Amino acid sequence: MTRRTVDIPVGRGAEMGMDARPAMGPLAPVDVAEPDIGSEEMLINIGPQHPATHGVLRLICELDGETVVSVTPHIGYLHSSFEKLGEYRTYNQIVPLTDRMDYLAPLIYNCAYAMAVEKLMGIEVTERCKVVRVVCLELDRIFSHLLWLGTTAIDVGAFTPFLYAFQERERIYQLHEELTGARITTSATRVGGMMSDLPPGWAEGVREFIDTFPRTLNEIDALLTTNAIHQGRTMNIGAIGPEDAVDCGFTGPNLRASGVDYDVRKDRPYYDYETYDFEVPVGENGDCYDRYLVRMEEMRQSVAILHQALDRLPDGPINVEDPRISLPSKTDCMSDMESMIHHFKLIMDGIDAPAEDCYFSVEGSKGELGMYLVGDGGPKPVRWRIRPPSFVNLSAIAKLAEGHLVADLIMINASLDIVLGEIDR
Amino acid sequence: MPASATVEALRAAFPNAVVRDLVQSGDQQVVYIDPGSNAEVLDWLRTDPGERFNLLVDVTAVDYGDGRPLEVVYQLWSIPHRKALRVKCELPLSRLAITSVTALWSAADWLEREVYDLFGIEFRGHPDLRRILMPENYAEGHPLRKDFPLRGRFSRAEQTRRALSQDLEQYYMPEELEGRGAPQIVPADESPNSAPESQGR
Amino acid sequence: MGLSEKPAERLPVASSPPGGVLGAGTPTFLTTRLDFVVNWARRNSLWPMPFGTACCAIEMMAAAASNFDLARFGMERMSFSPRQADVLICAGRVPYKLAPVLRRIWDQMPQPKWAVSMGACASSGGVFDVYSMVQGIDTIIPVDVYVPGCPPRPEGLIYGLMMIQEKIRQERLSEHGALRAEDPAAVARARADADEVLALSGPFGNSTRQNRVSGPTGSDASDRPDDRIP
Repeated sequence: MTRRTVDIPVGRGAEMGMDARPAMGPLAPVDVAEPDIGSEEMLINIGPQHPATHGVLRLICELDGETVVSVTPHIGYLHSSFEKLGEYRTYNQIVPLTDRMDYLAPLIYNCAYAMAVEKLMGIEVTERCKVVRVVCLELDRIFSHLLWLGTTAIDVGAFTPFLYAFQERERIYQLHEELTGARITTSATRVGGMMSDLPPGWAEGVREFIDTFPRTLNEIDALLTTNAIHQGRTMNIGAIGPEDAVDCGFTGPNLRASGVDYDVRKDRPYYDYETYDFEVPVGENGDCYDRYLVRMEEMRQSVAILHQALDRLPDGPINVEDPRISLPSKTDCMSDMESMIHHFKLIMDGIDAPAEDCYFSVEGSKGELGMYLVGDGGPKPVRWRIRPPSFVNLSAIAKLAEGHLVADLIMINASLDIVLGEIDR
Repeated sequence: MPASATVEALRAAFPNAVVRDLVQSGDQQVVYIDPGSNAEVLDWLRTDPGERFNLLVDVTAVDYGDGRPLEVVYQLWSIPHRKALRVKCELPLSRLAITSVTALWSAADWLEREVYDLFGIEFRGHPDLRRILMPENYAEGHPLRKDFPLRGRFSRAEQTRRALSQDLEQYYMPEELEGRGAPQIVPADESPNSAPESQGR
Repeated sequence: MGLSEKPAERLPVASSPPGGVLGAGTPTFLTTRLDFVVNWARRNSLWPMPFGTACCAIEMMAAAASNFDLARFGMERMSFSPRQADVLICAGRVPYKLAPVLRRIWDQMPQPKWAVSMGACASSGGVFDVYSMVQGIDTIIPVDVYVPGCPPRPEGLIYGLMMIQEKIRQERLSEHGALRAEDPAAVARARADADEVLALSGPFGNSTRQNRVSGPTGSDASDRPDDRIP
């Protein structure tokens, strides 16, 4: 018979400090008798088909009672060989593949890929296209964070935020559909511009969304942020310090929750992000709760960026005027032989990119989303590599989960905001 | 465009390791280093106070085909100095091995496993070098190599048969948790044609 | 729902004599075909097993959320355990690495059971005619309804599930024995034999054949072998 003292953290109204966090200290240490029954470790398989793994992730856990001793993640259950397929497709044909990779934020992937090709070819897109793409990027940051919010809330036992979040997501689906005709698989960008200009009234639709969306966000905020159950499930769970977070390659909200102020939009600005007025939220403890807070604040900042972008949306052409890459107008094609041949050549042969390589990254919803392209002077890339943020973020889950309970492992996995389509590619 | 200060400093510190440097896509600094000393060079880049490339953004590889050497590509970013660097090592097809950098960055763990899985490059000193995306018993080779056909080497029927003859129970074995790799999975011995015609539905 | 949807199957109701147990004029028994009652009960309380992998899973979640509300069809209880499920909804891409998992989940579901293949990738491999992807889950498990789309809209999924309901409505109890026969030897085996797999998953369209732009970079497109048994 051995005895050990167990600290029981209790969150109560009276113990809440100024920051509305409950005091985590022991109220009354309880001596718990622990019979010495001579146990051994147990293996538990979670996934690949499990509602809490957010996809087809497989975690094999070694447990001591309910405490996680070690976790071995298994991935690759959704390996669709995007990178190989990209070597067989021309630069514009790759666009539809990108949104099937991260189906939670398709427009971010469309934009990131098009931007990388434009960087490789040395194309400067038009001012209108830049602002339209900023709108797309920020809209889908909200889109992705909302799904994360809903599903993570389910993992801690709250179903209502899921319904609220999906209500708002349906409105973004509507906007996607007006813009591109598809709800998820948008394929909105082309090299040198967009699939088409904004449909009439679309900007007003976005404006109406960002005017009313913060109200719902505040409701979800009120349900979760100071909720003692939510705090108890997330505070001090899966904490990681700034040095370790950088060492593990964390980027995006996960890195910033640990207190490292690295945001591609600020550190390597593209599309005039340096002229937008927005804050980058940074956490302190690097635990699940801080990751939650950072994402909540990011949605508010995205709304602020969207307001500014819609205010400055300039008129003018959306696609670059470059015969190398842009299709001639349909009217010209039907009346002018030269234009028709040109159109045919662009569609059938594709666009040639120089024999160089190019790494271009944007701040995706899950972290630094990089596209690495190697051209050979022809219309198809020699190598198309996606730097997957959630792949690198997930690789640290074994380190984060050690010593926590199985239920916390689910929360840690949810708080990393992974999408398996991008991890397995 | 002249080489950046980083390359100058790198040449001064490692006169023999820097093979060549060039600037790509306008402003992206690339430096080729000797694959034999990649760990020392990357460690210097990570810790030197003037460089501090502390974020390993990506590790990947490029196969150009036609028997040309494979390139291992490291994308580095310095959070304190806000600069990027791309470091490349060329590996001849006859000797696809390079020192692992997992000791320098934990992030390299899965990234190197992925390169091993898809390109067949061996990372010496990696603590747990196994396939990561493809199944453990994948027998068709390394998919991202140029000589690998898009639809795989085996027929679809054989691929289906092999996939379904995996024994899921074997993955529960504790050997795998200890990093010794999953036990070799023996494909089912019956021919692909012996599967029952239908399910009776 | 549906108790009187077809005039021919309207339930004949007999009235009890005046002053029956439930009061005057209240029917105390009803007659119907056993087929009809069983099928009515089955089709309105289907428990789906959501085998969601990729984009289609997000649309499946949207179908379950408040705007589309799958609960209207008696399917509000998503059964994440195959042992308590009736309909397998395979939503998304299925790579070969996942194929044995899908097969095992199907084998674990008790009869009667149905399968919906949601989306182009699950039905045919979609754009992913590549080394790692199953070219249609019907090579692995029997499929009742294919929902086209990439991804299908939630309405599409709901329509597919209504087709399952229609299929159940037309089943006869006397045929259940034949319909539901299970061959123990078929467990963990592919549904299709080798020739059928080859026929179902041959290259089509411009997936690999269009060599003007779709051949591999830097080499001739003709070096890719056709499907052949090694």
